[in-house]
Amino acid sequence: MRLNVNVVVNGRSHALEVGAHETLSDVLRERLGLTGCKVACDQSVCGACTILVDGDPVSACSTFMFKVDDSKITTVEGLAAGGVLTRVQEAFLQDGAFQCGFCTSGMILLVTALLARDPNPDDATVQQWLSSNICRCTGYNSILAAVRRASAGLRTEAAA
Amino acid sequence: MTHSHTQESDTYFRAFRKKATGQSVYTFDVVLPFMLHGKLLRSPHAHARIKSIDASKALAMDGVSCVVTGADLAELADPYYGVGLRDQPVIAIDRVRYVGDVVAAVCAVDENTAYRALQQIVVDYEPLLSVMTPSAALMDDAPVLFDTPTRGVSPVIGAGSAYKIDPAPNVLYEYTFGYGDVDRALDSAHALFTDTFEIGRINHFHLEPYVNVARWTGSQVEFWSCNQDPFVLRADVARIFGLPVTDVRIRTPLIGGGFGGKSYCKMEPLVALMSRKAGAPVRLALSMDESMLTLVKHPASLTLTTGVDKQGLLLGRRADITLDGGAYSDASTLVAIKTGFRIGGPYRWQAIDSRARIVRTNTIPSGSFRGFGGTQASWASERQIDMIARRLGHDPVAFRKRNLLKAGEPFAPNDRGIDLDLAAGFDRLIASMPARTKGRGQGVAIGIKDAGGTGNHGQALVRVNQSGQVCVSTATVDIGQGAPSAMCRIATEVLGLPRNTAVYASVDTEHNPPDNGTHVSCATMITGLAVEAAARDALQQVLAFAASQLGCTADDITLEGWLVRHGGALHPLEPMIRKYFGGIGWEFIGRGAFKEPYAPATPMGAENVSWMPCWSGAEVEVDEETGQVRVLSLVVGSDAGRALDMGTCIGQVEGAAAQAFAQAMFEEMRYRGDQPDNATPLAYRVPRVADMPQDFRAFVMESRLGVGPGGLKGIGEAGMLGIAAAIANAIEDATGASLTKTPFTPERVLAALDARQAPDIAASK
Repeated sequence: MRLNVNVVVNGRSHALEVGAHETLSDVLRERLGLTGCKVACDQSVCGACTILVDGDPVSACSTFMFKVDDSKITTVEGLAAGGVLTRVQEAFLQDGAFQCGFCTSGMILLVTALLARDPNPDDATVQQWLSSNICRCTGYNSILAAVRRASAGLRTEAAA
Repeated sequence: MTHSHTQESDTYFRAFRKKATGQSVYTFDVVLPFMLHGKLLRSPHAHARIKSIDASKALAMDGVSCVVTGADLAELADPYYGVGLRDQPVIAIDRVRYVGDVVAAVCAVDENTAYRALQQIVVDYEPLLSVMTPSAALMDDAPVLFDTPTRGVSPVIGAGSAYKIDPAPNVLYEYTFGYGDVDRALDSAHALFTDTFEIGRINHFHLEPYVNVARWTGSQVEFWSCNQDPFVLRADVARIFGLPVTDVRIRTPLIGGGFGGKSYCKMEPLVALMSRKAGAPVRLALSMDESMLTLVKHPASLTLTTGVDKQGLLLGRRADITLDGGAYSDASTLVAIKTGFRIGGPYRWQAIDSRARIVRTNTIPSGSFRGFGGTQASWASERQIDMIARRLGHDPVAFRKRNLLKAGEPFAPNDRGIDLDLAAGFDRLIASMPARTKGRGQGVAIGIKDAGGTGNHGQALVRVNQSGQVCVSTATVDIGQGAPSAMCRIATEVLGLPRNTAVYASVDTEHNPPDNGTHVSCATMITGLAVEAAARDALQQVLAFAASQLGCTADDITLEGWLVRHGGALHPLEPMIRKYFGGIGWEFIGRGAFKEPYAPATPMGAENVSWMPCWSGAEVEVDEETGQVRVLSLVVGSDAGRALDMGTCIGQVEGAAAQAFAQAMFEEMRYRGDQPDNATPLAYRVPRVADMPQDFRAFVMESRLGVGPGGLKGIGEAGMLGIAAAIANAIEDATGASLTKTPFTPERVLAALDARQAPDIAASK
């Protein structure tokens, strides 16, 4: 069965005909060339494929494409508009919150969604949110530092 | 603890900028025109004979290109792989030996079609009795996994070491190591202790799955591969297909995590076979479930008998180590060697006598995992050292200090001396521990392993163009450890050029000079030395050229950035080069190499390149009602010799420690009967951020005593080594409960709490 799906991905409109079985991650990666969306567990367990659907973090590997009809999707490629990194991306760089980088786009989008909701999350909130995504490399300290840096930056910005 | 990076820090920053913006290319992202997709049918039986395979229905499906089975191996020059000992067929031939063994491979237009085709393949199995544990495999009447002697040879070893291949049914390999008269040392002991320790099976759980794309053009095959060891893989594929190595080309894009899981040959020859049969490029990306069925870390049982004198000095240790190798060899020989060799820990002994055996079972093959037996050895050794100190009424810290090796002292006869101050790091660890709190326990451990491999070598090219821009080319792959940044830094330091002038060439066996693979924490040290030499070579060429242009000798001039100082004058190099060479300019191509020579008088057959400590400390709180252990503090330190980038080194140590922490506390791949019980991402638990101790810190010392550039050495595996022992030692400190088996589940903790009342099992004289 073919279905018509209209989505705005990183600000650009797409009218797509998709199969009922097609996942959001497959469409992003294979039809739109947005390979920053990484598929690791393919079971909605690890969060590597996290992208934003209308601002909400979603596991793209386990979301059917037809379910996101009429929504706005943001992938990691859509964050640094005009080549200027977002505060979260910048913080990840400054704190070296990467090793292999396979979890990174999902982590950055997750943190972006968190800070959009709560620019100043307490530690418990950060722990709760970040526990949806797995990083097998870092042990998380550097990622937590990046979240603190990004939220501190947002606070400074708000105060200015 | 983190470390800030500035834009100035160059290659590192650029690589990470790509990761932060989704522009990094992993093998997972590689797509070729007309590429087919592979999927694998795996055995549901732990042990069975394959009577027949009927793939006709699958082949009749639209979109299915071909099915590869064991029958296709007849065309291969050598259908087996493994490290040293080769017993794993490219695909099952007539028998399956574990749940997950690959029986058939489908190539189809897309993964969905390939998956559906797998369901249509009918395999007729004759189930055989299975052996799921080493103890079952060692029984007299146990079913035997292999009927023929194992092919291949043992890795190199030296004086004091010995090995046997196939010493007994279901025993793949036996390694023995020793020095001194252990009987005499134990007989003369004031106190003797015999304890047995066990460590569970874990999976690497690298987020990027195993993924390979293979394409044939004529008789040549090229790969885009996530394999950590491109030149090792090239040699294996060439041998298996009977090709000259120059007909095999391996490209290694960025690797999404490996931790040892992606080292050495695995399913790559199968992908090549699938591609050849299909007559098209084939991509095989395993699912994570399949990755979990591909390789695990060796579960082990280690029995240590240790003798101590009246003053609390260690005298001798006898070790009997059984490693569960699973169904096939993979890197088991190396793990046996390293576990047996490292069992003494960082202490001075009169005598050591150890035996490490690899026992075959009908379980997932065991292979290399960050530390290569070092974690198993350090766990048992450091747990027993602590237990001994406590039984003798000694302070575990003072007990260790009394016996610690000093800088320069050999770990074993004829080996390279310890290249760091073990006591200084231990002092720093102790000083880093939180103040004592009532109701909490603290434990420490000092893991140690040799690092850098045995007799390893690396080669490098450093190309400097007319503008003073540098391209560093080696076979070291970027697996998240930041190797490209390190190599560029080493080269630019020699050349005196800014760090941001260097780029790191992509890894491709057709272009880069070879090395032994990116593992055993050797790259920055071994290949780093080659890069340093290559940069010196390039520098000499630049100076010789400039001298010839200036009519002087190279001794008369120096390089200042991309200017030549001759007396009081500074001459820009670029115009000088362009004037002479014209055209597009020129490259000064420096060549460098490093080889650690073989040395038969040393136990490993070559001096160990460096020593890698893991000072570990834990503070715990134990709920004696439920057996729940909370690790409140975890402090871990190592020695980088010299940290090229402190943040990167800290990240390596913390990342390894997180893996070791999980293995200690909860992570384990379990079997129920002959079936894997939790080999899926949903059921297999790795640490998430909320699992980590609130207070989790790493420190990195800089002894400057390493053999690498500026005294550096590898650090990638360090953080694994001492963690489990430190936590168990802390649990004993808090409660008196003695844990001897990982993970420390509430059930095991409760059992250990109950066992406190039992009489002391120590055989004290």
